[in-house]
Amino acid sequence: MDFVTAIQSNLLSPAVLFFVLGVFAAVSKSDLKFPEALYSTLTIYLLTAIGFKGGVAINEAGISTVWLPALAAMTLGAVIPLWAYPCLRKLGKFSISDAGAIAAHYGSVSAVTFIAATNFLKSIDQPYESYASAFLAVMESPAIIIGVMLGKGALGGKFSFSDPGVRHALRDAVLGKGVLLLIGAMIIGSLCGKRGMASVEGFFVTPFQGVLALFLLEMGMVAGRRLGDLKKVGLFLLLFGITAPVLHGSAGVLLGHWVGLSIGGATLLGVLAGSASYIAAPAAVRLSLPEANPTYSLTAALAITFPFNITVGIPLFFELAKYLNA
Amino acid sequence: MSLHPMKLVTIVCEAILEDRLVELLREVGTNGHTAFPVHGSGNQGNRSADISEMANVQIQVVVKPAIAETLLNRLQSELFAAFAMVAYESDVRVLRPDKF
Repeated sequence: MDFVTAIQSNLLSPAVLFFVLGVFAAVSKSDLKFPEALYSTLTIYLLTAIGFKGGVAINEAGISTVWLPALAAMTLGAVIPLWAYPCLRKLGKFSISDAGAIAAHYGSVSAVTFIAATNFLKSIDQPYESYASAFLAVMESPAIIIGVMLGKGALGGKFSFSDPGVRHALRDAVLGKGVLLLIGAMIIGSLCGKRGMASVEGFFVTPFQGVLALFLLEMGMVAGRRLGDLKKVGLFLLLFGITAPVLHGSAGVLLGHWVGLSIGGATLLGVLAGSASYIAAPAAVRLSLPEANPTYSLTAALAITFPFNITVGIPLFFELAKYLNA
Repeated sequence: MSLHPMKLVTIVCEAILEDRLVELLREVGTNGHTAFPVHGSGNQGNRSADISEMANVQIQVVVKPAIAETLLNRLQSELFAAFAMVAYESDVRVLRPDKF
């Protein structure tokens, strides 16, 4: 299967088509609107389901198989803000706090992009390591912490852990709902194993695709409402929103290949590295780097990088993984 | 029936600030507060409240006039510059002043 076919089969999945419908609903100013409570409910469902499934997979594969790729994933998440920050400062001319905030978003990961990628792999019958959601869990926090430190002026020696904003951010990064649910459900899944899976499968596995389609409909609307902000963020951030996922994603695929992941697994690590957070990072960053303008990081992550990844990025990283493995 | 003059302080801000504000309310010596989710727009743009990260909250608290002043001063010096927020006080009269 070549790149064009891969893109086609990705674009014609219910998840992506519902995303497009959501964008259309927002742009055409339709009265369709999800209550905020439903958005939160769907998020909780998706995070719990993938955490649990990942835990069961860790139980099957054994921790000795999982630790090396998980460590590689975590390192990658921590390194991305370290290079993105100087790039945003020097080339993008962003302020210290804005550069730190954007770097934190791009080092951290998007769970929904990851789920869309597992969906894509399933649809083309490409096997992958089911414990890959462990990568998702460990990549979420390090980048936020490092991005916030950079944004606080750590390079100029102006950073202190006693700052109340920093304390809130650390707590949010480590105990925020995303990380807590993912890691919690993963531990439960790894304790319960296959037998536990059998008892919750009807709720967490069978309806999963439908819930994801509904969630992406909402994400389409959320992204669509921010398209107007694209004018405010400037050309550099538009380019960054596309170049960063391609660069980070390729690095992720390479790293996944080196640590011995399959084509599917390397694709997923690439997708994670290439994605930008819009759940954990915005809340933590807003409190700890209040001077940073949230329009920059959220618009780039939600209105540029997220749509790019779920349409073009995922098949691109898959093709790269396939190429490396050939 | 005797009514006692008090101040009602209303704060409308980003919902992620709620915990920090409640901490601040306790520090200046308030006994309670009421919070509700709200949406609208202001000079920092449309606060769409479509995802929880963009949600807004309105916090109301009835306090003695001196406390209202401390509270508003601290909001101004610590939070106004960095967050989307408005705060104002108004005169109210209550039946049981010892509650506040």
